[in-house]
Amino acid sequence: MSELGNLSIALAALVSAYGLVAALLGAGLRRADLQHSARNAVYAVFLLLSVASGILLYQALTRDFGNAYVASYSSRDLGFWYTVSVWWAGQAGSLLFWAWLLAGFGAVVVWRQAGYRELMPYIIATVMGVSVFFTLLLAVVSSPFARLAFAPPDGQGLNPLLQNPGMFFHPPTQYLGYVGFTIPFAFAIAAMATKRLDDEWIRATRRWTLASWFFLTLGVLFGMQWAYVELGWGGYWAWDPVENASLLPWLTGTAFLHSVMIQEKRDMLKVWNLVLIVLTFGLVIFGTFLTRSGVLSSVHSFALSSMGPLFFAFIAVILIVSFTLLALRLPWLKSAGDLDSLVSRESSFLFNNLILVGAAFSVFLGTIFPMISEAVRGVKISVGAPFFNQVNVPIGLALLLVMGLCPLLAWRKASLANLSRNFLFPGALGLLTAVGLIVAGLRQPVAVTAFALSAFVTATILLDFHRGAMVRRGHGEPYPLALGRLVLRNRRRYGGYVVHLGVILLFAGMAGSAFSSQQEAVLRPGQTVTINQYTLRYEGISQYPTQSAMVTAATLTVFNGREPIAVMNPQRNIHRGHEEQPMTEVAIRSTMMEDLYVILAGIGEDGTANFKVIVNPLMMWMWIGGVLMSLGTVVAFWPERREALRARARYLVGAEA
Amino acid sequence: MSRALLGIGIVALAGLTVVLAPAHAHAADAAAVKVVVNQLATQYMCQCGCGLTLASCTHGVCGPRDRTLAEIRRMVEGGKTPAEITAALVAQYGEAVLAAPPRRGLNLLAWWGPYAALLAGAVTILLLGAAWTRRPGPQRAASPSALSPEQRRLLDEELRKFDA
Repeated sequence: MSELGNLSIALAALVSAYGLVAALLGAGLRRADLQHSARNAVYAVFLLLSVASGILLYQALTRDFGNAYVASYSSRDLGFWYTVSVWWAGQAGSLLFWAWLLAGFGAVVVWRQAGYRELMPYIIATVMGVSVFFTLLLAVVSSPFARLAFAPPDGQGLNPLLQNPGMFFHPPTQYLGYVGFTIPFAFAIAAMATKRLDDEWIRATRRWTLASWFFLTLGVLFGMQWAYVELGWGGYWAWDPVENASLLPWLTGTAFLHSVMIQEKRDMLKVWNLVLIVLTFGLVIFGTFLTRSGVLSSVHSFALSSMGPLFFAFIAVILIVSFTLLALRLPWLKSAGDLDSLVSRESSFLFNNLILVGAAFSVFLGTIFPMISEAVRGVKISVGAPFFNQVNVPIGLALLLVMGLCPLLAWRKASLANLSRNFLFPGALGLLTAVGLIVAGLRQPVAVTAFALSAFVTATILLDFHRGAMVRRGHGEPYPLALGRLVLRNRRRYGGYVVHLGVILLFAGMAGSAFSSQQEAVLRPGQTVTINQYTLRYEGISQYPTQSAMVTAATLTVFNGREPIAVMNPQRNIHRGHEEQPMTEVAIRSTMMEDLYVILAGIGEDGTANFKVIVNPLMMWMWIGGVLMSLGTVVAFWPERREALRARARYLVGAEA
Repeated sequence: MSRALLGIGIVALAGLTVVLAPAHAHAADAAAVKVVVNQLATQYMCQCGCGLTLASCTHGVCGPRDRTLAEIRRMVEGGKTPAEITAALVAQYGEAVLAAPPRRGLNLLAWWGPYAALLAGAVTILLLGAAWTRRPGPQRAASPSALSPEQRRLLDEELRKFDA
């Protein structure tokens, strides 16, 4: 079986290399047969990697511990779904998953978008070029089919930290997002190679970009949720290098999503859009590199290896090829459009891009700064959460402000009437919120600003929904129906607004963190600890074995005043095979206003238990924000036949507003 | 009688206050120390290699974290200021113990680099934008301002039908 797996990977590497060469020769020599053969190569690579993935899953599910990878990441007591997750739990498996997704996406493009005949050979060459890199890594450096000299009776088991539903969904969604951005990147390379530099490549990849962004967003959110419930320190984002690595392509991808609209509508920013997609793909590989190389220590780095230099070289090749091509095509990339005014939607999009890319630069610089410091000064330093929070909070607030301004400024030139019509009420509401919060006793300037800006942006969005619905109601539709049809008739625009509403909730949740409070207490049974309005009474401890761990669970009765409202059971578990490192399983009681988060930090031999209790305000808002962001993206993604015509018409009318 | 009782009460209360005051003060001190230590725990990196601050180290059992926190607690109880604690920890563990690099020398690049880049970007946008707004181009001639009132009326009418 393993031999067949290795053979499939080796063949996939060879066929990928063949596909790359055949596509380039087919395009250069205008040989239709070679181009056709290159298309078939993509299908063949997908088939070969599907066979390899199938074998790995079969070996994991049948507990073939002679396979070193299966023995390292699974055990007999592992449930079905966590056994499936072994596919991406370790280095070799996750690289196979990456390569398989890439080949799958490549096959979909070849099958569904065959109409882009001129671009297709270069798209295939790019996808196959990336595939050569990953399949070679699998074939030469990190095989998921290496055999042990003898098969142990049981495997080492999956890292207990990974045995969480969040971790089951986080890597696949993250990888779907990462790999998805390869397709817009491939189209961009093809557009540059063929000099077809109008907005064709952008329109062709709009839905790929949206889908990739959607999955990357989900991946980041699942990662946050996993960190919150599993790592047990009370937070969801520690500015860890691997967390930052997932945020970087999200930031540049978000900038790209917005700036392509300018090219579609105004035929501007052609060079900028190409730069953005190259940067996004480069950061995707950088993210995979950080997770896999171990060059920066991370709580999320579940595999360390020596493949760092290879990734580094690959990133260098991507950037050199892309930017050389871009430099050669500059004469063909002159914008046809002009700015009519600096106070317009176009220029606000430019500032939106500036802030998003600025945020990406800030996070990137902070992430790699320890390496810079060591290289230049020879001094090891750390760049942790306090640094990132201080540097990025002002940038985040600026982003929030632009999010409110951007969608409601008129295209071309915003008149004074347009500004007062759209911003007078939201501006007043934002100001009122700030004054109200200060009067209510809030003294943290960052939190007050964040809440005030959130109110402002929410008002701008809801006002636009309301105005649109009122226009439709003028045609005799009842208000709810008018609202529904408004969204359905312009899914891209209103889906985007729903995403923005989700982002606002996310920001509000983050601002809520400024008001979190915590208490630590060593308690005997019957004793209590009080935090805010909650009193927690420690009832006692219980121990019981499960299939994979010895569970030690504390029982706490939670009172709000005198009324008992919940029983919470934080745990401290010792997993088989990981006895040296007890795992905390936190207990969380969530309401719309706040989370009560209890960690069982330790158990004394004298019968005492050590608790850390945290109250995190507005956490639920963050997760609801995440759901709204996903829903909004689905709405925007949904196909709309008349979208292009409407956008054009609105653009013309917008200038009159 | 009642005066006597009141007198005894006052004396007893005063006595109780004298007896209990140090205990209360001690409890208040301990709570204050805990608050300061918790706050400082967010400023220093754990030395176990997790790459996180002492406050967010994810290990259930972590010797380096507990040792460093105990050192910090001792220094806080000993009346040391945060600056003195920082100096002591840097002397012991090196600059890497700080969760945020000090604002001097090369580190200023990390602190101010993003803002400098943003400022440069904003200036570029403003300069480019000003240049673009002055540039006569083919699109400007085709702008809606070129529409006649009749064309505008027809366009509005079509859009209304389209939106309906």
